[in-house]
Amino acid sequence: MTYIRELLGARELLSNLVMRDVRGQYKRTIFGRLWALVNPLVAMLVYTFVFSFVFRIQPAPGNPSGLNAFPLWLLCGLLPWTFFSAAVNSGLGSILANYGLVTKVYFPRLVLPLSAVLTRGYNWAWEMLVLAVALIAFGSFLWPWIPVALALMVLLMLFVVGVSLALCIANVHFRDTQYLISVVMQIWLYLTPVVYPLSLVKDQSDRVGGLFGTNITVLDMYSVNPMMHFIEAFRAVLYDNRFPNSADITACLIWTIAALGVGFWIFRASEKGLAEAL
Amino acid sequence: MSNAIEVRDVGKMFRLYHERNQSLKSAMMRRRVSVHEDFWALRNVTFDVPAGSTFGLIGSNGSGKSTLLKCLAKILTPNEGEIRHFGKIAALLEVGSGFHPELSGRENIFLNGAILGMSRKEIQQKFDEIVDFSGVEQFIDQPVKNYSSGMYVRLGFSVAINVDPDILVVDEVLAVGDAEFQLKCQRKFQDFRTAGKTVVLVSHSLGTVQSMCDHVAWINKGHLEQAGPAAEVIAAYSKSFAPEV
Repeated sequence: MTYIRELLGARELLSNLVMRDVRGQYKRTIFGRLWALVNPLVAMLVYTFVFSFVFRIQPAPGNPSGLNAFPLWLLCGLLPWTFFSAAVNSGLGSILANYGLVTKVYFPRLVLPLSAVLTRGYNWAWEMLVLAVALIAFGSFLWPWIPVALALMVLLMLFVVGVSLALCIANVHFRDTQYLISVVMQIWLYLTPVVYPLSLVKDQSDRVGGLFGTNITVLDMYSVNPMMHFIEAFRAVLYDNRFPNSADITACLIWTIAALGVGFWIFRASEKGLAEAL
Repeated sequence: MSNAIEVRDVGKMFRLYHERNQSLKSAMMRRRVSVHEDFWALRNVTFDVPAGSTFGLIGSNGSGKSTLLKCLAKILTPNEGEIRHFGKIAALLEVGSGFHPELSGRENIFLNGAILGMSRKEIQQKFDEIVDFSGVEQFIDQPVKNYSSGMYVRLGFSVAINVDPDILVVDEVLAVGDAEFQLKCQRKFQDFRTAGKTVVLVSHSLGTVQSMCDHVAWINKGHLEQAGPAAEVIAAYSKSFAPEV
């Protein structure tokens, strides 16, 4: 297909756009790239204070890793989450942000959301690297699990690409999308086991039982959330040092394929009219 | 003679919005996305651009020249008809597209070149030529935000002119830089022509068109008025708005 060939031809453009954003990001700051680590660090301190010290949430120790440290446990879920939320946000704004390019030059428009997600992915990779060093320093036997973690990271990036493809088009037609999504992200964070362990939801769900006289439990509804499966999978690999549940892996795969399929389809359908719609 | 571009029955429609609900709230409250009427910026335009020619598009403001040019450059997609290209096409509708102000001239050359469809290797090969042509050697490692506007445009133009496509589509960007730089550009276009490349350009300056183009198409209110050898079409066009001269 010519479209695929065109996309392959735009590989260098993609890497150039990513490099532009990566290089331009922390220009004229004193601390440069270190700023990328400040956000997760501050979030870790605040969440640890609130949820571990005040609310006394105690996640189960890593099994079989034996780790038992709330900040590390938190980061294993928080870093994938912040990547997700930041990448969706910049992916959905990517077409608008490159208004000047879209209306003046022809190139496969797909590279715009793709480069936005990859730029975030680049930052995320550094955060994950620091986390990996910390995990190993605290006694996790992470080495054999690094390939699995990398595969999960790629999978999450693909999922984000799919979501961004659909949302960046929506954002061109309805500028509300960006504001709506920032609200959704706030709610979504608390509907995902990032700052508290999934076991707490399980306990409550068992206590309440079937909802409205059906067999559907709170946990079933909760499990619709694709990010729950991603976070659980990341925690299993990074914190527990074991292979993620097959249910989580299957859910991640299905959601990624669905998001990519729908996103790509929407994007292809609107791509040609983008220069006018802007 | 073979054709570089074939334009067949091309029509491009824009919607003129009397009411456009670009937020969800208004779209839902009014129960519709928009009230609009269709406006055909181009209709039934058919012509050929012979390979190796310099082809000019002329017409008054708002006649649809730039729309046509954008269709040729694949930025807009025609609603009707089709445009066929034979060879690699590059469009120069704006210079310095995608320049990042904080990055150096050097980094921006690679970025801009990639946006215009050049590979890294090509850019490396032509790097010296590009820098030389732009005349900003001294400042090539400075961030482009410190460039004067003339330097900025010259650098952008130098990248674009070195893309080396089979077909170059140009929108009135010839008028950049000082007289000396313009002369350089003229010569570059001359080289382009001798190399057998095709150039399509839009210009309001009949003088430019007359001196550079061998074929011209005259667009009037979205319709093709006349296409053919430059002298004939330009004469007819000049006559249309100044009959008594």
